Amino acid sequence: MKRLIFVVLALSLCLTGCSSGLTILSNYRRIENIELVRTVTADISGEGVNVAVCGTAGEESVARMYEKTGSSLGVALGELILLPLGRDAILSHTENMLIGEDMARERLNECLDYIERFSEMRLDTGLLIVRDGTARDLLKGLTGEDTPAPDVIAGLARNISKTGEGYFFTCREIASSLADNGCALMQCVRAQEEEKLFEARGELNIVPAGFAVVREEGGVEFLSDQETLGTMLILQKYKSRNVDLSLPGGVVTVSVDSVETKVEPVFKKDGSLERMSVRLALEANVICLKGEADLEDKALREAAEMELSRIFREAAESAIRRSRELGLDYLDLESILERQAPLKAEETLRNWEQVFPILPVEVEAESTLQRTYDIVDPPQDAKEDQKPWEKMIRSLKGS
Amino acid sequence: MYRTKKDPPAPETGEDAPVTAAAMEAVFAGCYDFETRTLHIGGDTKNPVTLCFIDGLVSGSDVAEQVIKPLTDPERFGSIRGAEAVSMALGGSVYVYTAKHREKLGEAAGDLLNGFCALIFDAERAAVTFEVKSQQRRGVEAPKEEKVVKGAKDAFVETMKINSTLVRRKLRNPHLKIKEFTLGKRAETSVTLVYIDGFTNPQIVEEAAKRVGRIDVEGALTSAAIEENIVDNYRSPFPQVISTERSDKFCMNILEGRVGLLVDGLPLGFLVPGTFSQFMKVPEDHSGHFIVASALTLLRYISVALTLLAPAFYVAVAMYHQEMIPTRLLQSMIEAHASVPFSTAVEVILMLLAFELLQEAGIRLPSPIGETVSIIGALIVGQSAVEASVVSPVVVVVIALAGIAGYTMPNQDMGSALRLCRFLLVLAAIALGMFGVAMGCALLVYHLSSLESYGVPYMSPFAGSEGQHLSRALLRRSMTVKRDREPELGTGDGGEAKL
Amino acid sequence: MGKNDTITERQLTVLIFVSLLSPVIRVLPASAVQLAGRAAWLSPLAALPAGAALAAFTRYARKNAPEGVGLQDMAQLALGGVGGRIFGVLFALWLTFYGGFVARSASERLLATVYPNGSASVFIAVMFLVALITASGKTKTLSRTAEVLMPVLIIVIAVVLLSAIPDVTAESLLPVTYRDAGKVLYGAVPIFNVLSAFVYFLFLTGHIRKPRGERPRRFPWLALLAATAFGVTFFTLGTLGDKLAISMENAFFMVIRNLKVLGVAERVEAVVVAIWIVTDFIFLAAILMIVSEIWRTVTGVKKRGAFVPPSAALSAGAAFLIAKNAFTLEAWSDILIPGINLILAVIFVPAVMGIGKVRRKY
Repeated sequence: MKRLIFVVLALSLCLTGCSSGLTILSNYRRIENIELVRTVTADISGEGVNVAVCGTAGEESVARMYEKTGSSLGVALGELILLPLGRDAILSHTENMLIGEDMARERLNECLDYIERFSEMRLDTGLLIVRDGTARDLLKGLTGEDTPAPDVIAGLARNISKTGEGYFFTCREIASSLADNGCALMQCVRAQEEEKLFEARGELNIVPAGFAVVREEGGVEFLSDQETLGTMLILQKYKSRNVDLSLPGGVVTVSVDSVETKVEPVFKKDGSLERMSVRLALEANVICLKGEADLEDKALREAAEMELSRIFREAAESAIRRSRELGLDYLDLESILERQAPLKAEETLRNWEQVFPILPVEVEAESTLQRTYDIVDPPQDAKEDQKPWEKMIRSLKGS
Repeated sequence: MYRTKKDPPAPETGEDAPVTAAAMEAVFAGCYDFETRTLHIGGDTKNPVTLCFIDGLVSGSDVAEQVIKPLTDPERFGSIRGAEAVSMALGGSVYVYTAKHREKLGEAAGDLLNGFCALIFDAERAAVTFEVKSQQRRGVEAPKEEKVVKGAKDAFVETMKINSTLVRRKLRNPHLKIKEFTLGKRAETSVTLVYIDGFTNPQIVEEAAKRVGRIDVEGALTSAAIEENIVDNYRSPFPQVISTERSDKFCMNILEGRVGLLVDGLPLGFLVPGTFSQFMKVPEDHSGHFIVASALTLLRYISVALTLLAPAFYVAVAMYHQEMIPTRLLQSMIEAHASVPFSTAVEVILMLLAFELLQEAGIRLPSPIGETVSIIGALIVGQSAVEASVVSPVVVVVIALAGIAGYTMPNQDMGSALRLCRFLLVLAAIALGMFGVAMGCALLVYHLSSLESYGVPYMSPFAGSEGQHLSRALLRRSMTVKRDREPELGTGDGGEAKL
Repeated sequence: MGKNDTITERQLTVLIFVSLLSPVIRVLPASAVQLAGRAAWLSPLAALPAGAALAAFTRYARKNAPEGVGLQDMAQLALGGVGGRIFGVLFALWLTFYGGFVARSASERLLATVYPNGSASVFIAVMFLVALITASGKTKTLSRTAEVLMPVLIIVIAVVLLSAIPDVTAESLLPVTYRDAGKVLYGAVPIFNVLSAFVYFLFLTGHIRKPRGERPRRFPWLALLAATAFGVTFFTLGTLGDKLAISMENAFFMVIRNLKVLGVAERVEAVVVAIWIVTDFIFLAAILMIVSEIWRTVTGVKKRGAFVPPSAALSAGAAFLIAKNAFTLEAWSDILIPGINLILAVIFVPAVMGIGKVRRKY
């Protein structure tokens, strides 16, 4: 009996998959026929949805664009994957989805639902809103002969944290935030026409355009650059940014490489919530100096630190202000309060919707200039009133 | 002096028949190498005896010097006849260290086949046999199949006596027993069972003796004739008997509590029970540093996974689960595969077959040519296949990786079994993708778990050993530390030892 | 049962552990999160004492049972020939159906994760064929298979959970206060339900040989199972948040879908899903073995082999017919299966064992 079962099993295995015609599983694909989709765009088109994808076959092959309009995102993508002649477009390697402004405003949930439901897509797909134009046009403009649009977008995703201009929120983060807060943040991008410095690149470039806040019920609000910075600071998504500080004697460019954010509730003696406190601790390094500012001067350094603190404090304040204006807690203040004082703040949390717009939030920022690297500012001989021991320290530093 | 045997009258030639010269000649009738000669004891022509032997099996000079010379010496055997002559020959008047008194024709004939010469006393209807074996045998050499890096270089040879001597020299223990059996209806091969009395589990010894005694073959001339008859499940392609040409490995296993088997004519020693983890070990593990040895043992287990799963995994991923491949790699795979006309399934099967063909050709051809064929073949065929777009480079890499991983197996039988399973897993992957691979692996593990060797679970200590001795399979402890003996072997002392 | 086909307590426990990893992944984290919300990650720990208590009771109940006596024999001793046989038939029928459910759920999981638009029938057929081969063999072989596979499964889940650490956020898991205790306990019910399935394996205790002084050590294994359940819930919840996790049927595999392993593999989902199918297969084979063991004892036949093919056929039939679509299957999975399981495993079995103890039958 066992032998018979074995034979039946072995035969069934052998007879099923030796050719594509006989395979019993639907997701068999010949590897050479794959058209790899890495970026998908979605725009409203009349009553339906227009989708475009940028696909590549091999490493050396030219990036190709395909587009299709359908009654819904699912229908359009379903038809679109049949477009590459003789090839099977697969969406499993989709890194980013560019969503047009209108699409984000009206049918964002459709995009999220498609990604969550369709087993080929992954939840860490980055979702971006395209401002001032359609996503399709941006994708088309980005695609050059040797520079596929997905590579350009991937480059932006890598570098955006270095410039501190934004953060690519993934589908998982957006869906989770929408479920928890009823709103979510998304990164916006826009097309920028630039001179074609080399032939292989596309007509357009992609640049960050701040954050947008999307509502669960639909609708999009856009944040300014300052509000975006403040939001990143409070949400601890900030990585690095270069800032110019105007000081007596010149302009100092500092790289703010570390910001530690502490958001805490402050309670009154009677136990009621007094305010939320946001404290920012910044650390910066001088990377460039224009003029003759004397950075050895403690007072000047303090002035620089104060200026830096002011810029970041104002950014955080503006972010909080905007959040309250919109009545959307995308800064997760409720969650922070709930996590830090679940019992003490129970009453406040119950009435959060009423409390949130009037809740005092105090922002403090403290900056430290860490180093100026190997350069002494101003040069040694420019200092006339140096004390002997200071000279000695300088000479040691120099050696 | 020697005379050729003539056709005799028909004497009684049964096993138990009395020994006479005519009967012996009848038994060996038609054997050109059977020689007889009439001698006169003490030079007395009235006192003839027949000397017979198999030419080539005996040493001519030994026969002349140690048997004929003293026997025909008038001073020694002057007037001695009949039974007295027999007892003198047995008593040391003939200078051979082994002498046996035979009254049955079968026993005497058996002695002749084992390198004895027989002095047949027709009147007494008996014979005295003397061991005068020819010394024409291969000397002890370094092992050829199992490379020795740092260890004893005396490999087993075809002569059992030499092999048992090698074992005795390493295990100088009076309790080391070497029990002899004769196998084969016609070839009558000698087989010995080697174990340490009072230490080796008597149940295993008894079972091994029972199975060896039960072997019913024409002649035990190949290792399969022994192995297939003494294993628990002969249908399984996985080796269940440890075979080795290294005497040190043989002795080490005897010291661990296994039972050894030496077969005359085979330069191998067999050991039972054989478990999966034993096939992952090499004697060098006990020569090198214990940390290095442990790392190498782990590497061998990783190699098992690689050789078994790499092609199947590749097929499953390339055919069904492309989402698992990183973007850049997938792009280069698409690019590489674009000009290949075959599907991934065909490509992998072709390459696996080509690999097996090259390997088989390399083994069958004489050694220098064989090595050239396998190396040049692998290089040229692989390179040409890629250039001709018959296969993609990734497939060549995957198959080569699996092949090389397979070569790390210390036991070639295990390597062959894994290669066979590799094919089946590739078929499962072709049919059902990763699900097929998982189900195939589950069946393989089930099969391995179903095996037992002399009552010891084949997968012990991974299964069936209470999980207490897992580290023994994967790691080697320092020789300065005592460790538990393998409980599955049920050794006599059952305690700890520096193993 | 043959004298040759004996296992140790540890082997049975490992078989239980590997088998129950299958329902752990099926039930968690969705069921626990639905009941306990954000605090669901504590529910596996809360379920452990109840599981341990059940294990302790069953151990006590069969403490003096003679060697070679399984749960079915104990039931026949406790309830008498007729009552015991009715008990056995009831369990055999239920487990036949449950086996079908296990195979169907596993197939649906494969379809929902790595084989979209495939056919569940293919997976069910292959699983039953393989399970049929294994269930026709000896109990000790299946136990050894589980022993060999267990480290692989533990390593896989450990690697997966460790890789998920960077995505875990505190706000998805906290705060949890004493006020959530009720929720945590409520969320522990489905997990306890999963843990309690170990009582089905008591039908195989007749195969246990008792070496000197060995005692059943179920607790460490139950603790390991609870730790696995904790890990799965903790990391899924911490990554997706409670609301998103509830909305997904295979939330754990959704988390895995995003894992990257050292840049070598991007989505290890296919591998993990395939490896996890092995637990379903072991569970299915064990169920078929248990069912045939019950029929063997009920009918008094010497060998159970003859009962395996019909049991497998019936179970496969149940797998095909149990639900027209995933929606119906979900309804079975959410209410009926746990409900019946709770009644049979947590009430019936201890009750019968208790009766036998009171009547001093063993």
